Amino acid sequence: MAQKRPDRTLGGVHDTFWQYCNQGELRLQSCSRCNRTFWPPMPVCDTCGTFDLEWKPLSGRGKVVSFCTFERQYYDELPPPVDCIVVKLEEGPQFLSNPQGFTWKDISFELPVKLTFIDCEDAAGPFKLPVFERA
Amino acid sequence: MGYDLARMRDMSGKVAIVGVGDTDYHADYAAARVKDPNYHFLDSEGLAMKAFYRALEDSGLKKEDIDGLGVSGPVIHERMAELLGIQPKLNTSGSIWDTMSAAVNAIYSGQCETVALVYGLAQRSMGVRYGGAQIRGGPMSYYYYHPWGWSSQGAHWALMFKHHQLKYGSTEEQLGAVAVTIRNHATLNPNAVMHDRPMTLDDYMQSRYVCRPLHLFDYCLVNDGGVCIILRRADKAKDLPHAPVLVDGYGVTTGGKDNTQMQWLVEDMFYTYLSTSGKQAFDMAGMSPKDIDHLQPYDAATVHVPIYLEGFGFTKQGEGLEFCQDGRIGLGGELPVNTSGGMMSESYMMGWNHVVEAVRQLRHEAGARQVKDVETSMFCHCSMIGAYPFIFRRGA
Ligand SMILES: [Zn+2]
Repeated sequence: MAQKRPDRTLGGVHDTFWQYCNQGELRLQSCSRCNRTFWPPMPVCDTCGTFDLEWKPLSGRGKVVSFCTFERQYYDELPPPVDCIVVKLEEGPQFLSNPQGFTWKDISFELPVKLTFIDCEDAAGPFKLPVFERA
Repeated sequence: MGYDLARMRDMSGKVAIVGVGDTDYHADYAAARVKDPNYHFLDSEGLAMKAFYRALEDSGLKKEDIDGLGVSGPVIHERMAELLGIQPKLNTSGSIWDTMSAAVNAIYSGQCETVALVYGLAQRSMGVRYGGAQIRGGPMSYYYYHPWGWSSQGAHWALMFKHHQLKYGSTEEQLGAVAVTIRNHATLNPNAVMHDRPMTLDDYMQSRYVCRPLHLFDYCLVNDGGVCIILRRADKAKDLPHAPVLVDGYGVTTGGKDNTQMQWLVEDMFYTYLSTSGKQAFDMAGMSPKDIDHLQPYDAATVHVPIYLEGFGFTKQGEGLEFCQDGRIGLGGELPVNTSGGMMSESYMMGWNHVVEAVRQLRHEAGARQVKDVETSMFCHCSMIGAYPFIFRRGA
């Protein structure tokens, strides 16, 4: 069963990100000239100004560098507690996500994690949400 | 990227704060809590005007002397100029840090002589929220992570503190000392929202988590209020009722590149923003951290206080929370912090009340919470958008 989630930001480059997720791939834009990877999506490279950014597949490996738990309800769809983690991806960007199969009680500094997807649904329809489980 | 230090140095001390005004934070909040039907509640415009007329009276100037205007909050400058009945030669709007640096520049350059900066926001009455699904604008980190259930301004500070904990082993009790110290200060300020609500470390530890690891009492208030700050050429500030408070230095480091990404907040814990902008402010003022007697950090949450201490070089990285223990940031301590109660216990005025308190301290009119012999004070905002420190000095 798909989990109800608050709405994604959609349109333009954001749609491309979610289309890859729906194929089970985590891809982020990168500029091959400047060797930079971007998250959240950008219309243009912030360094050289090229619009020609490539959606590169990521390894899906990373380390937890911070986390927090919402104990107060912010969304109708998500009763607390809601665990969130910041994963430092192998390729550089820090990616806000949810732990899958573990909670804040299991987290240690730089805990290695790997990518997985869960089935979700928002007002725009079903989608796959990138989350992380222990590596 | 550099700045022209010789020109910045020349601007140091040339502009003074000559008037401050604020609204009745404590009384307004108390009346709002009981929904007093006989109380005259003001909207954002009304709060701003009340603060303005108090600041004007405080300055000893006439309305006709005001030839520049900066506004903040939902009130726009056209409307504010109309309400004030003035035709300013400087019109600027934005945060306290943006409008104050614009005012200093405009006064120094000769564009105008006396600038009123006016802020009013009835945020509690308006039901302003700082998190949840309805947030669809503002900084990208405020809304982009909705699908992962991550929202709210306060969640940023939870991530920052958790990283500090993971990296340095800092504890919630240590952070509680910051909340308790600032609350103690508020109990000495009759106008503070939390004036009559003393708090112990035990109260802090037992308060509920909002966004773990941060408790309710780690976060700033949400209340209504207005503030006005009047700045004037320092050479024309000598014959006014109060000692002028000179703007000796300021610095700016905006996020720019990677602004909306998480590394500045999490792994860097704003160290880069604070250390580079701090250096600029100290250089302009010709000072260093040891010259600062009093600190007014923007306390959206407790964790900001140790982060500023580290970033500006008051302590080494990782030692900010240790510094906050044993009364060192309290009255009579090495570096008293947020002596009016800050945004956590006086009033959430987005940094505007921090500047007012710096002025009152430097004029030596802070009453029961006066820091002895204070000559300099530093104010700073820091968040995802960057860091903006100011250094003030008591003038003659
Ligand atoms: Zn590039």
